[in-house]
Amino acid sequence: MSKPAASPTDLSPLPPEHAVPEESLESYELAFGQQMTTWAEILNDNGERLQAGRFSLHWMETDKANWGRRAKPSSRGMTYADTNRVEPYGQMPEKAEWLNFAPRGSVRDPYAQRMPVLSAYDVVDRNELWAENVITLYEEAKARQWNATRDIPWDELKSLPEDLEKATCQLCTFLTEVEFVAGDFPAKWLYRIPQDFLEVKSFLATQLMDEARHQEVFRKRAIAGGGLLHASPGFEWALKAIMEAPSHTMGTFLLNLLGEGLVLSIFRSGEMIAKTHVDKEIFRLCLQDEARHVSYGVMELKNHLDNVPDRDAALEDMHRFADVGEMVILTAFTEAALIEPLAILLGGGVNRIEQGLEQAGALWGNFIEEYLGRCRRAGFDRSERCGIPTQAPWLQ
Amino acid sequence: MADAQEESAVQGKNAEPLEFPSLAWFERLAALMNDNRARQEKLGYVDCVAGFSVTGTRALAVQVTFDEFEATDVRVTGETDSNRADFTLEAELETWQAMIESIAAGNGRPALDQTLNRLSHMGTPLHLLSDDPLRRDMYFRFNQSLQEFFNASAAFTTSFPTS
Repeated sequence: MSKPAASPTDLSPLPPEHAVPEESLESYELAFGQQMTTWAEILNDNGERLQAGRFSLHWMETDKANWGRRAKPSSRGMTYADTNRVEPYGQMPEKAEWLNFAPRGSVRDPYAQRMPVLSAYDVVDRNELWAENVITLYEEAKARQWNATRDIPWDELKSLPEDLEKATCQLCTFLTEVEFVAGDFPAKWLYRIPQDFLEVKSFLATQLMDEARHQEVFRKRAIAGGGLLHASPGFEWALKAIMEAPSHTMGTFLLNLLGEGLVLSIFRSGEMIAKTHVDKEIFRLCLQDEARHVSYGVMELKNHLDNVPDRDAALEDMHRFADVGEMVILTAFTEAALIEPLAILLGGGVNRIEQGLEQAGALWGNFIEEYLGRCRRAGFDRSERCGIPTQAPWLQ
Repeated sequence: MADAQEESAVQGKNAEPLEFPSLAWFERLAALMNDNRARQEKLGYVDCVAGFSVTGTRALAVQVTFDEFEATDVRVTGETDSNRADFTLEAELETWQAMIESIAAGNGRPALDQTLNRLSHMGTPLHLLSDDPLRRDMYFRFNQSLQEFFNASAAFTTSFPTS
């Protein structure tokens, strides 16, 4: 009879694991233990009051509150627009000064001295994030959510000829890759925006959800159809350029207006060339979400340019940024891992890739026209300076 | 959804056929949309004024106002209405007819080459017209709702003018 396997009690204890670097934890202890001690004063006050059996009830005072001005719902329910109609809840500062979590419109002045300051909140200018359509887009985004697990007729998915299936899966691999950045970019800025701009934060949260769903649905489509195929360095550099944009407005221009404008064209093309109703449904649902993001990008840039103190200087800065941005986006959108599967799907097979490239060339022209139109709508005329050729490189 | 549409298609097809293009045809689509609020609530808000234009000898231009979950106004485009529409979809009668017949044949789901986006993406045969890029983008923001607006035509019989 063989010796029984060692029981868990026979094993030596594992060495202690430090999930958090020691110096980070020490630094945190020091900060909240010795440097920032206001919370300890508050705790002490609270302790004394509770021990004495006293109630404060200061929070029932309404002298400095906007108490009794009740918001009324519209036909859609209670929207931000409905609550913002009640003075002063809709008053948004030009520059946010409350760099903590105190809600806009609450009684917060008396507590200013005891409030913490979050240094992460450093996008404080309304001109760097507001768009006049942001509340509408937020409501629309919530109302038009869908579920990549249940709302796609996955059971209708049929195998395609190998070249078309590979092209579809490569296109989905590309879209999975780029949709990650479209979620990470708003996430990167979301936490830097103070609470006074709650409407923008709310909209960015919906964009995050949209992009999570997009990478989910394209990942699922690829794996259901054969598998994920090739990642691409050309995509990655464009995504890095978006992530590292020097300001929220510039990054939003590059991601939402230019990048997502192009992806919107790809989604529309995807719907057009879809070989199954499953793919039709995926692309149609995604293109709706993408168009919302594009609309925010256009109006955010417009708001920025309309309100900066020196419009000419801001325009020149945007042009300098776009000069670079257009080139890196062009790098991504000339990658073989994108153009070739698209051409195969447009042409109808690998043996018709040349014809597909011609069609892709026509779509390229349409896209550049749309891009320049959206720039003009935002008050940013790129027609004389656009670095992306109006004709597809393979047709020149 | 498919079952409900199929059922109403059977019921609808006992009724008098509606001619396309006509104001009454679009009014029927609006009524069907408004009767199916649960589906609209699933699809989400649709807020735009969409123009639908048939060119050629049987020309007709109609505007449909979508608000929240309903089609609230259907009218023949008048002289003063030119700027009301956020965007207009324009095509020859033959294009519209092929799409509507495909929807009917598919019991509310058009063939792969007969969806609104498929027909409009290359700029032909269905033209997407708008002076304002932001308003033009509404066509994309509400595309599924607009597709299902037309898909509901499977619920009744459409007749077309003979050439």
